[in-house]
Amino acid sequence: MIEVRFHGRGGQGAVTAVRILASALYLEGKYTQAIPMYGTERRGAPVVAFLRIGESRINERDLVHNPDIVVVLDPLLSRTVPVTEGLKEGGLIVMNFPKPGTEAGIGGRFMLATVDATGIALEALGRPITNTAMLGAFAKASGLVSLESLEKTLLEHWPGRLGEMNLRALRTAYERVTPPVDVSGIQAQEKRPREEIFSKDVSSWRIFKPQLDEDRCVGCRRCYIYCPEVAISMIQGKARVDYSSCKGCGICGEECPTGAISMVQEAL
Amino acid sequence: MSRPIPLHELGDKEYIDPANQACQGCGGAIVSRLVSKALGEGFVRAEVACCGPAFMNIRAPSIYVEVFEGAGALMTGISRGLKRIGREDVVVMGIIGDGGTVDIGFQGLSAAAERNENILWVCYDNEAYMNTGGQKSGATTLYAATTTTPIGEYSRGKLERRKNVPLLMAMQGAPYVATASVAFPEDLLGKLIHAKGIKGFRYIHVSSPCPTGWGYDPKDTIKVARGMVQSGLWPLYEVSDGILRLNYKPRELKPVREVLKMQGRFRHLNDEEIDRIQREVDTFWRRLVAKDGGEIF
Ligand SMILES: Cc1ncc(C[n+]2csc(CCOP(=O)(O)OP(=O)(O)O)c2C)c(N)n1
Ligand code: SF4
Ligand code: SF4
Ligand code: SF4
Ligand SMILES: [Mg+2]
Repeated sequence: MIEVRFHGRGGQGAVTAVRILASALYLEGKYTQAIPMYGTERRGAPVVAFLRIGESRINERDLVHNPDIVVVLDPLLSRTVPVTEGLKEGGLIVMNFPKPGTEAGIGGRFMLATVDATGIALEALGRPITNTAMLGAFAKASGLVSLESLEKTLLEHWPGRLGEMNLRALRTAYERVTPPVDVSGIQAQEKRPREEIFSKDVSSWRIFKPQLDEDRCVGCRRCYIYCPEVAISMIQGKARVDYSSCKGCGICGEECPTGAISMVQEAL
Repeated sequence: MSRPIPLHELGDKEYIDPANQACQGCGGAIVSRLVSKALGEGFVRAEVACCGPAFMNIRAPSIYVEVFEGAGALMTGISRGLKRIGREDVVVMGIIGDGGTVDIGFQGLSAAAERNENILWVCYDNEAYMNTGGQKSGATTLYAATTTTPIGEYSRGKLERRKNVPLLMAMQGAPYVATASVAFPEDLLGKLIHAKGIKGFRYIHVSSPCPTGWGYDPKDTIKVARGMVQSGLWPLYEVSDGILRLNYKPRELKPVREVLKMQGRFRHLNDEEIDRIQREVDTFWRRLVAKDGGEIF
């Protein structure tokens, strides 16, 4: 039996990914279980989902604690969530990251394959929903499921244009994912202490960040009053963003009457 | 009647902690911040189960109960207790979801209004039970898709029109009733500050778009909220001692189509359905305008 854990953020489609993958594997004659983690799955908040793949009936009913494979749908998630926790020695990580696996800040006796799923999703769907791209990457990196079964299941799930767009994301990621690299020699990036995860710093929720052009700011306070996170303060008549409190929702950029705020993709 | 508060008159002091656990672009989080800003110090807040605990980082003493129908009883209890210890100066405020207000919580709400309890009830209206996955509520707009009114061969979304609870509260004779929207913070702040100074039962119902449940990009929360007001889907008015006043009265309303089509929950609507919503909005608006400045009953 092979056990997989998916890490993502609410809105990136981790639960849907697990369901599609389970159905695709079922088509190939496997026994599968797709397990969404119950909780408040708010858009942007860290979520997990699990998958079991067996050659015979699976009797386990609990959550997956020691996965063979971990799939990470978000490039910044691993800064605050311990994504390799419980991962078996020699286990595989498939991660949404635009650079080689050796630069992802993940270390330990694991193999790591990376793919720029955010970039691919923005290209194919116009939105940073990375689940289908990551399924393509998973298929190639793990060799556990064929692209054909995934394509078939995907089109059943989303008939029509949406399906075609997702198909493009799936195939592109299948082609672009890097071969897994050994990260046992890499020093794992320090995780922030756990209590910090539940407190104020929400910077890792962002995909886009607001960039302020002070010269264009007329101090009207629109962005300040609309920011749902109270991340903007007015300093000497100009807006200033506290990036640790900003989730990158984009409201400030949309509402600024002078165009002083532009949303730029978070650099990694 | 209330007076809108220009943003430049606002002090810099915050009464809420930055960053919360709500979704990106949550309208409810904006309500929570504006409430804290308007009331400042000297209030306690009541909370029941809803998305609220994710974004109510307000620095004020709070009492939370899990039963989401319980806000009326909870706020009554706090208010009576404060009276008993001679602290009627403390405002009792609850930010309560639409489900906890117009559906299961309605009995307690209506009874508290009947008794004219000394409380300030702020309903943040995301038009469904969002905390539990987006089931329809009595506040959901006609034809909206929710998880319990999905779109399918035999289903076109919600079958019923939304309940008008602000007017029901006004008809019960509450001293102050108002509607508001996150897109009009000056108006909302003014109403909150006005309500703070009144004794008895006060009710403010705030339209609070929810990107997750309504299916639009988080950056558009204010756009959607504004569009609802400008099209008459969510008129801004207040009723003070039985006199109604419209707070936003454009010469002409925008057609409802544009703001409906911004939202995934209305994407399935055909022309006939949009026309029906438009007709109902027009009728309601005409009646409101006729009452503007006069007695509601
Ligand atoms: C008596 C009772 N039934 C069910 C629940 C589960 N529950 C918690 S929040 C909620 C929905 C609340 O909806 P609403 O008041 O609109 O607030 P929102 O979640 O939209 O913020 C439900 C059904 C509960 N807490 N208590
Ligand atoms: S909305 Fe724009 S102009 Fe107004 S304070 Fe913010 S950045 Fe400055
Ligand atoms: S993007 Fe702008 S409005 Fe959104 S959380 Fe960041 S600072 Fe606030
Ligand atoms: S589900 Fe809607 S109301 Fe609830 S936290 Fe998310 S955006 Fe806010
Ligand atoms: Mg609700």
